[in-house]
Amino acid sequence: MSMKAWTIAASISVIAITGLGITANHAAASAFTTASDAVEYRQKAFSLIRENFAYMSGMVRGERDYDADAFKQRAQALYHLSYIPFEAFSGAGENVTANSDALPVIWENWSDFEAKRDTFQAAVKELVNAAASENMREIRPKFMDTARGCQQCHQGYRAD
Amino acid sequence: MVVTLWDAFIRGFHWLLVLVVTGLWLTGGNITYIDIHHKLGLVVLALLLTRIIWGFVGSESARFRTFLRGPRAMISHIRNPLKGTWLTHNPVGGWAVVLMILALLAQAITGLFTDDAIFFRGPLAHLLSNDWVRTLTSYHKQAFDWILILLAIHILANAIYSIKGKRLMGAMVTGKIESQEPVKQPKVVHGGYGFALLAFNLIWIFWWLG
Repeated sequence: MSMKAWTIAASISVIAITGLGITANHAAASAFTTASDAVEYRQKAFSLIRENFAYMSGMVRGERDYDADAFKQRAQALYHLSYIPFEAFSGAGENVTANSDALPVIWENWSDFEAKRDTFQAAVKELVNAAASENMREIRPKFMDTARGCQQCHQGYRAD
Repeated sequence: MVVTLWDAFIRGFHWLLVLVVTGLWLTGGNITYIDIHHKLGLVVLALLLTRIIWGFVGSESARFRTFLRGPRAMISHIRNPLKGTWLTHNPVGGWAVVLMILALLAQAITGLFTDDAIFFRGPLAHLLSNDWVRTLTSYHKQAFDWILILLAIHILANAIYSIKGKRLMGAMVTGKIESQEPVKQPKVVHGGYGFALLAFNLIWIFWWLG
């Protein structure tokens, strides 16, 4: 191959690699770029939250035998999940209410929504700590605080 | 002459309903009190069911066929609401009673199918699809404002009758009403039967849906 051909090939490679790098960077910033993907992400995250909370609810409300290890595991899962859905209310998910129960007022009262999100996440953290005590008397009030943490946004920010 | 208008069951039913519906109002929409709300809802269901049965087998004044009158009677009552002494609900009030019973019944029944998406699931919610549960939950949340409007009209109408000298509210407490003209005492069924029926309904409703 001539020198000229090498130069062209090298230039193309550099451009291609740079291009890939830029694309990869974008992909790393967010997996969802469309509104409907963001809504799906939110909904799936809330669905996981609901399922794990329901499991604990069964134990707290006496519908399922209390198993301290299983409860701790679920509380831990909920703790991690409690951070997941909220990022999809910004970026591609900002102001998106199509095929969603999210109400537009979320973005009108954004700082209130954030404050309530923080309250919810703090309540879940307390629930994790209470779960470690393996004492239902300590768990129950924290479980109810978490439930109230859910409800404070369901009322006003979620379609009935 | 003094007439016995309302038997003990009707009076007990009425004032228990006032208490329980107030309790439901205060506990509704708050997850902290959802279990109390659920139990109070079952009490209302038993109360309403017993009242409906009593409307067929109870005292004459409490029977639907005594107080559900046609449009002519309603118009004539609206034209001259203070005329005469009704030994039951008046022709307009009778329909108001049915409307309130139906609205509260719809509220109690839809409550059985609700799901709050947090941890409460009504005892019959598993029978329906998620879409239906969602629809009925939303109805249950929104319809109570309409019930409050109905109850406000009911209280206001009774207050006006009281001001105009018709002591309807007193009759709901004592069961007795004073009639100027001589009238035939309507047949009264002992209220104890009504309370026994209420107890029976409470037992099976709590056993099934508690």
